Amino acid sequence: MIKRFFDWLKKPLGLIAVGITFLALFSLAAYGISLSQQPPAQPVQFPHKIHIAFGIQCLYCHPGAAKGPAAGIPAEAKCWGCHNQIVKTQTSILLKPLKDSVISGTPLQWVPVAQVPDFVQFNHRAHIAAGQNCENCHGDMSKMTVAENPQIFNMGFCLKCHTKVAGENHDLLVKLTDCGTCHY
Amino acid sequence: MAIELKVSEVKMGEAYVGKWGMVIDQDMCTGCQACVAACAMENNISFVGETDSGYGRSMHWIRIERFWEGSYPEVKMTPNQPMLCQQCGAATCEPVCPAFATVHSQAEQLNLQVYNRCVGTRYCANNCPYQVRSFNWRDYKRPEPLSNQLNPDVTVRRRGVMEKCTFCIQRIHKAQDKAKSEGREVVDGEFTTACAQACPASAITFGRVDNPDSLVSQLARVHGHGVKHLEELGTLPNVTYFKGG
Repeated sequence: MIKRFFDWLKKPLGLIAVGITFLALFSLAAYGISLSQQPPAQPVQFPHKIHIAFGIQCLYCHPGAAKGPAAGIPAEAKCWGCHNQIVKTQTSILLKPLKDSVISGTPLQWVPVAQVPDFVQFNHRAHIAAGQNCENCHGDMSKMTVAENPQIFNMGFCLKCHTKVAGENHDLLVKLTDCGTCHY
Repeated sequence: MAIELKVSEVKMGEAYVGKWGMVIDQDMCTGCQACVAACAMENNISFVGETDSGYGRSMHWIRIERFWEGSYPEVKMTPNQPMLCQQCGAATCEPVCPAFATVHSQAEQLNLQVYNRCVGTRYCANNCPYQVRSFNWRDYKRPEPLSNQLNPDVTVRRRGVMEKCTFCIQRIHKAQDKAKSEGREVVDGEFTTACAQACPASAITFGRVDNPDSLVSQLARVHGHGVKHLEELGTLPNVTYFKGG
């Protein structure tokens, strides 16, 4: 039975079947990988580049980055502070979710994009205080609409910068490459 | 970067001073277990339940040990003994880990457990003379309202991972971060561990042992007869016990 099957595989029809199977598996894998590389769907297609073009600083909407561990995603009240004075807000279909959210009082369910695993404890404040700019990790937002990651936040990415910043300072290197600095 | 082995640096019998340390006054301890509860709350420790506890799989980073003296008619209880990770300077758990998951923090002088490196051989727990490490035998459930009390500053451990007392390293980092943002050093007594904070009898004191002016150093001097458990093994523990003072 199995021998007959292998014999059939060597015939033209069998070879075509093998080829189609491989192609299907390959395209499925490629599709899966491409899915994991796309930024997640957001309730509003928030255009970062337009807001930055108006001269709004990162810390205006994400003030937590300078004060504590989490940068935070602004509440609708903050969006509404500017947007209720803009006529386009009332008419635009793209901004309808924001208008609905403010009227009904239900918060927008933003999807976090830049994330680290649970076993990593990240603190924005220390990085901002050390003179790092947002774009060093998050990329140039003036070219992005919906936030996306310019790189994967893995340990190599963190340590590359940590060792570079420490340089010849041995005490700082010990502190910045200590496991307990990020993992606890 | 080359790995430098610094085994020869710490010698037995040599005066060793760590960084963070604790003094526990056993005469003050009432055995109320408030520290045990506070530790579980602070550090997201799972509740293993009755069945697994029966198998000796209970998970606590601190426990109250009770001992008895004498034979039956004249049985006397010795003072309660809170037992937690002694944060040894030369820890026996560290060299046996095949995955380098239990490493010594050079910056904070603590024994760390890196959960994402741990592969669960449990060798460290077998080699710990204080028996203070606990292993996640299962993914223990937290029924709905309980998940709301998880501490976001501490990793939620999964099944197959060893865990242990960290001297509340998340509080250490928080205090250091706050001090740095205000441009000063961490003040003694500014923060403390969850167990020390919860202790109603103030039996547990936490602080810098390398600072002679800190409360822990002063208490150690005043009592003068502190005991470090199993010191003869050369583990250089950072927790000092007082009894019969």
